[in-house]
Amino acid sequence: MSWRAELLAAWAVVVRNALMGVRNVFFFFELLFWPVVGVLSIGLMTRFLGLTPEQGAFVLVGTIALSVINVCQLEVAYAMLLDVWSKSVKHQFMAPIGVRHLTIGAWLVGMLRGFVIFVLLAALGAWAFDFRVLAPGVGPAAAFLAGCFLTAWIVGVLVCALITIFGTRAEAFAWASTNMVLVLAGIYYPVSVLPGPVAVVAAALPLTYFLDAYRAHFGFHPEFTSPLATGFALSAVYAVLAHWAFRAAVERARQNGLLLKMSE
Amino acid sequence: MARPAPEPSLAIDAREVTKTFRSGWLRRRETAALRGASLAVDRGTIVGLLGPNGAGKTTFLSILATLLVPDGGQARVLGLDVARDAARLRRRINMASGRPSFLWSLKVEEIIAFYARLYGLSGKRLRHRVGTLIEQYELTEYRRAQYSELSTGLKQRVALAKALVNDPELLFLDEPTLGLDPDVSVRVRRHVADLRREQGVTIVLTTHYMREAEELCDEIGFIKDGRILAHGTADALKRQIGLGDVIALKLDPPRPDWLAEAPGVLRVAPSDGWLELTVDEAEKRLPDLLRALLAEGVVVRNVQVHEPDLEDVFVELAR
Repeated sequence: MSWRAELLAAWAVVVRNALMGVRNVFFFFELLFWPVVGVLSIGLMTRFLGLTPEQGAFVLVGTIALSVINVCQLEVAYAMLLDVWSKSVKHQFMAPIGVRHLTIGAWLVGMLRGFVIFVLLAALGAWAFDFRVLAPGVGPAAAFLAGCFLTAWIVGVLVCALITIFGTRAEAFAWASTNMVLVLAGIYYPVSVLPGPVAVVAAALPLTYFLDAYRAHFGFHPEFTSPLATGFALSAVYAVLAHWAFRAAVERARQNGLLLKMSE
Repeated sequence: MARPAPEPSLAIDAREVTKTFRSGWLRRRETAALRGASLAVDRGTIVGLLGPNGAGKTTFLSILATLLVPDGGQARVLGLDVARDAARLRRRINMASGRPSFLWSLKVEEIIAFYARLYGLSGKRLRHRVGTLIEQYELTEYRRAQYSELSTGLKQRVALAKALVNDPELLFLDEPTLGLDPDVSVRVRRHVADLRREQGVTIVLTTHYMREAEELCDEIGFIKDGRILAHGTADALKRQIGLGDVIALKLDPPRPDWLAEAPGVLRVAPSDGWLELTVDEAEKRLPDLLRALLAEGVVVRNVQVHEPDLEDVFVELAR
């Protein structure tokens, strides 16, 4: 497949997901309502508990990460979910494209939505709680966002794989998986407070390192050495595994007929 | 320099294709959908796959369209193996189904453009192709209507337009007129016939409607229990099955004994005041029979001739 054809196939998915996004009210809720509610409620809680500005920043970084990853991950999951919901799965897989086009196209839209969320919540945090999420500078913020987007892609692709294996029964993973990852990666706390076996799982998640690296800019001592390098290295491994899992799931669906069952 | 391999004359060459579906995690269940289906389809023809529910029509079609992987046998489509060369093959084929479904919020032109992009079209070529298909399928008025707002007939036309975005050499149509009003079905059939006549597209379709198959198809494959039981033109199938023509007579006296022994008569059965004679060829036997009846002094009060249609073939094969 030529580069042009590769880009066109991914672009087709970008256009499709973007059009679906602007025309459905639940996308609006995902984009604005829940993230804003999350930052406001957590921010107000930090005030009520009388947390220091550093502690407040610690918690709000986790809150913003949750919103950004959730929105971006859902968009990647929509690469499959939209077709499952509309029962048009087979048309997509009859076309000469690979799963990479679906996930990368959807990821591009997800990153755009995630970036909008990030900017919006950064502004809200600064206005409502005097929390300067961009205080560490553009470089660290970009690295943090990149980590969030990579995590979203990995989780989203795994959700696509699960949906392709289990059908609509696996839909719940699309909404639950990011929360699970954030809980393990230390959404509102350092992973050192987690029980031993759970901390081992946390140490295997790239997001744990991205959160650790970004929070270090707000005065917290990093729990890991070279967290960014570790986070990106782990992300690369999981990205390959997730892509392989989705491909294998599609091949399995071609074997067992699920691809047809999820179609008209 | 090596010459490119000549294009095979067969659009489809499937031999002994098998497929078994397995389900259940604890108690495994197996359903044999295809048990050695074979079919050869010439390029530029329209072939209909007929068969009762659960016969394996859609499974067979889906294997040929690379949506399912066969367990055994060999299936080559446009000279390419459906399992090994699936990625290359997908560029050259397409499919539309009855009761089609696409993304509910997308507009007609957006749906067609989405799939056209997946097949590598962009810029002017994309706009031209989308415009042509919208015009061809009389969707101009609805090009900015969302899919969820369309009637069943319009949705079917969108599905056909989508199926042609890549100018396919081979088109699979799975029950293309299912659930459509008669007038819409006629239009869809006209579009299908035009595709073959004007663009030389090979078409394989499944249908439950015998009239549709007789009207559209050059050849018919009858599938039952996962096997192609018979394949050929409608006339050839009728001959192959030996159904014969039926001559219904109203006679006085009502049942001459010697009729069952007359040349070419296969069966004689009374039916509701009529005497039905199944003969090998009505056109050939009727004059001799009438002459013989008159010579015996039998009064012929009424005569009807009924040639078997595809529905009779279907009923006979589905037994």
